[in-house]
Formats: sequence, structure tokens, C-alpha cells
Amino acid sequence: MAVTVPILKQGDVLIASIQAALTDRGLIELRDALTAKVGQFRSRGVIIDVTALDVMDSFATRTLRGIAEATKLRGAHTVIVGIQPDVAFAMVKLGLALGGMSTALDLEEGLKALAARQLEARR
Amino acid sequence: MAQFPAALDAHLRQVLDYDVERRQQVVDLQAIDLQNIAELKDDVIKHLDEHVDAFFSYLKEWPEVVGLSAGSAFFDEAVRLKREHLIAMVSGDYGKEYVEQRIAFGIAYSKAGLDARMFLGGFHALLRSLGAQIMEDADAPMLAFDRFTSLKKVAFFDLGIIVDVLIADRESTIAQQQNAIRELSTPTLQIRERLLILPIIGVLDTDRARQLTEGLLSAIRANRAKVVVMDVTGVATVDSKVANHLLQTIAASRLMGADVIITGLSADVAQSLVTLGVDLATLNAIGDLQGGLEEAERLLGYQLVRTDQPAPARASA
Repeated sequence: MAVTVPILKQGDVLIASIQAALTDRGLIELRDALTAKVGQFRSRGVIIDVTALDVMDSFATRTLRGIAEATKLRGAHTVIVGIQPDVAFAMVKLGLALGGMSTALDLEEGLKALAARQLEARR
Repeated sequence: MAQFPAALDAHLRQVLDYDVERRQQVVDLQAIDLQNIAELKDDVIKHLDEHVDAFFSYLKEWPEVVGLSAGSAFFDEAVRLKREHLIAMVSGDYGKEYVEQRIAFGIAYSKAGLDARMFLGGFHALLRSLGAQIMEDADAPMLAFDRFTSLKKVAFFDLGIIVDVLIADRESTIAQQQNAIRELSTPTLQIRERLLILPIIGVLDTDRARQLTEGLLSAIRANRAKVVVMDVTGVATVDSKVANHLLQTIAASRLMGADVIITGLSADVAQSLVTLGVDLATLNAIGDLQGGLEEAERLLGYQLVRTDQPAPARASA
């Protein structure tokens, strides 16, 4: 049974906080749920918090990239927050790039980054 | 057991551990030699002072040799060691204990800063003195030659050990210096809120690069850094391995939400980076540390204002 990831709505931002290691199936479910909810809540931003993850494999990386691209097409910018130091370095070592995705230190930073983006977009 | 200074220990242990029998084989020391030496023993000991004197008077002739003036504590000790050495040389027992004595002897000379060339010259003077005496006292020249050859084998056995000690001493100095360099840590310093600087000085090897990466990534987390200025003014050369490691560190920092500005790339380093063909597209490089800090402050929204001048009007948002 895959753990479901709670998706919280905070203003026009969706926050998905991954609490435990996810199975591939869980990741797919997260992707589907996020893309659906972005449309449902007309969100402008998505934050995926991976603080609790101590492993990030190629599938997870690819799925996160997929989420970012899919939500972008639906009008929301995705920020990945809370990548742990050793996870970050392992990812780089393994050549797992997050492509053009935005990253931030933690939830707070991620929210700030999204706010700054919107400010810029409005100008 | 001879007392070794702690730092020398590891290297000297290698000298000691080198098989004593093997050492004897290397100089071709055989039973017949031991017999020959036994014949010489009494004679050599009778003329002990002469031989010791030959060694030291040779050394004293050279201005390079210091600390051997008669009456100094080191001189007395050196004479005592040399006498012991000669007695041991003709004792016929060249086991582990003998090797340890030679090591102690080598350390004494090494610590006194005796030049290896001078030592070899002195050793030769000693052998000449021994040879002259053996020739004089023997009944037949051929017999004298055989005996002297046997003694010479022991002499070369000794030299082998002394040379090993001198090399070990030098190696331990090099190892100490390498340690000192390694212990020059690479601190990550916070100079503004959310702004870290990481000055890198000296040679980056794989070990140090890994340590640096770990330090930086955890500092980013601990200080909630948004911008890191990595200053490589103090890095003289960069090879492809280190360049890649630095780029990986920068990519990992970005995954943690921190931008890295690299400053102080020297002309040489810049050229070798280009030649190495590393992917520089993602590199945010700025000429010097000052420029890097100014750029970092701009990214963070800081503005530096001199107090004796009116503040410039803020750029309207």
C-alpha cells in the first residue's frame, strides 16, 4: 500500500510534503494528484518538500521533473525544497539533474521564491 | 630498544621490519665472513681509538660539519656511539639488536643535521684506517684482503641501514608537512545573513575536495545560505578531477537552493578549465572576491552605503 502524500492548499500555492520514502507507484499518484489539483484550485505555484527523503533515485528525479513540466503546462511553477546535503551530492554524482527546475532550501524559501516570481510576472 | 621520536616512528618501523636476514643476503654476508671477522676482532679493538679518531678527524676538516668540536656534549656522545659501533661491527652478531643500534646511530646523525655526503666520506676514512691496520697486522696480503672484504660487507650492511634511516627521516618530514597542509581546513564563513564565503587555498586533492563539499553543503543548511562565494584565488592549478568535483559541488549547492559565485580564477586555471572542456555554462564566475561579494549582495538585495555620504536614492521597485 503506497503512502499517500498530503497536498495542502495555501493561497494560490499547493504544498506537497513527502513524509516517507515513496514507492514508484506513490510518485505516480503524487504526479497525477498534483496535475489534477493545479487545475482544480487554479494554483500558480507548487512546492514539493522532500526534506524527509534520504534517497533520490533516477525514477524519483524523472518523476519530479515530469511534475514540474506538467504543472508548468497547467500554469503553475514548481519548486523542489529541502533536498538534504548528502542527497544533493549523491544526485550530482549520479548525474541526476533536475533540469531547469527551481530548488530552494526549505518551505519558507520556496514560498518566498514563488512570491518573488509572481511579483516579477506582475510587473 | 632504541627510542624513536614519535613522528619518525612509522617510517622507522619499516626500516626495522625489513628482514634482517635479507639485509645480510644483500651484502652477501656468509659464515666464512663471520670467521674472518672473528680473527680480526681483537686487533680492531686494540686499535679502537685510532679508528674512531680517523673518522672524526676526517669530519672535522670540513666546515660544513658543525657541532663536532671536541668537548661538546654531542661530540662525546658521537664518539661513544662510534666506539660502540666498531665493537659491535666485529662482534659477529648482526641480528635485530644490531640493526636497532644502527638506527639509533642514524637518527643521532640525522638530528644533528650531518650531511650524508660528509658521513660517507667519514665512513670511508674509517674503513681506510681499518684496512691499513689489517694489512699491517696480517701475515699474508691475500688473507688480509679477504678479512678486510668480510669487514667491508658489514660496513655496507651498516650503510644500507643508515641510508634507510636518512630516507625515512626525510619522508617523515614530508609526511608531516603534508599533514600540516591537510589540516589547513577549508572554513565556510558567513559574512552576511544568507551569504557564505568559502576561500580555498592550496592544493585540492580528492580527499580535500570531498571534505570541502561536505562542509559547504552542511553549512548551507545550517546557515540557511542563499548565496555562496567560492574564492579560488589561492588555488594554483586545477586538474580535470578537481574541476569536475567543484562543478558537482556547485550543482549540489544549487539543488539545495543556494547560488554559487566562483571568484579569483587565475589566468592559468581559467585556461586549463577551458582546455579540459568542462561544462562551464552553469558557472557564475566573477573576477575577484570583491566583485563576487558585490554581486552576492546584489542578489540578496543588500546595498552598501558609506555613512559620510548621503545615501543614493533607492532604485524604485
